Amino acid sequence: MIFVAVGTQFAFDRLIRYVDEWATQHAVAGIAQIAGGEYLPQHLQWERFMTTAIFNQHLQAAELIISHAGMGNIITALESRKPIIVMNRQHALGEHRNDHQLDGLDWMGKLPGVYTATTQAELVALLERRHELQAAPLAADSRRQALVDFIDQAIRT
Amino acid sequence: MSDTPKLPKLLAISSPGGHWIQLTRLSAELEARYQVVYAMPAALFTERSRSERKVYSVMDVSADDKWRLIPCALQVLYILLKERPKAVLSTGAAPGAVAIWLGSFLGIRTIWVDSIANVKQISRAGKLAKKRADVFLTQWEHLSNDQDILFKGAVL
Repeated sequence: MIFVAVGTQFAFDRLIRYVDEWATQHAVAGIAQIAGGEYLPQHLQWERFMTTAIFNQHLQAAELIISHAGMGNIITALESRKPIIVMNRQHALGEHRNDHQLDGLDWMGKLPGVYTATTQAELVALLERRHELQAAPLAADSRRQALVDFIDQAIRT
Repeated sequence: MSDTPKLPKLLAISSPGGHWIQLTRLSAELEARYQVVYAMPAALFTERSRSERKVYSVMDVSADDKWRLIPCALQVLYILLKERPKAVLSTGAAPGAVAIWLGSFLGIRTIWVDSIANVKQISRAGKLAKKRADVFLTQWEHLSNDQDILFKGAVL
């Protein structure tokens, strides 16, 4: 099971179509959250928006998350220990107001458990080797704990 | 902690979106140790922030937008004077930098955590905040200089 989610702000038809076409060819089941998109998945089940509870349910059930390059989905996927592929929206294609999602791939790609794609070919290549994609290791939690503890100390001193 | 009379107060302030996601991930862990009061530029209050958190609304502002800085600063000043927090924590962007400046003038401990999205360089708002913040943190080890820009961990 795969879960594709494009966030709530804009549609991202390209991503939904790429994943839906690939899932059709490989008979892989999945759910898509498509926001206001015009492309309606032929193979994947889909919903435009979902409550946080339903969103989390689909996320937990999936082995792999595929997402627009948004902070929210990345954090949720990593915290749930799911590998996530992110693809950026393109300003030139009218998918966003600017190209900050492309810039975002720079840092997102440095995080363990996050895989980045800028094109359909890169996305499909990652989907083809989906069983090799690793979730973030447990050690990732200690980075946050260390930061919180330092902040706590910094306030007290 | 059962006989702790009163937890010290912390003002957590950021812009909505990614900054807010990072801020709340940090503050969630601090809520056991502090009474956390939040401030964020309006509109996007989630159900959780409404029901469980005290969230002040402030005017959104960018570093380019000098005129809105004034009402934003007045709102932040009001919150600081009313709540009298022991510390201010921000992950950005411009409204957080405003809070760092005002907090610092009021003798409040100020802590800036630059957004994880700033991997190539410190953010613009971060550079403003850095002049006044008591503690300035990046979430990328390679941006730290071990002096006034520290790396001590990351939200992710």
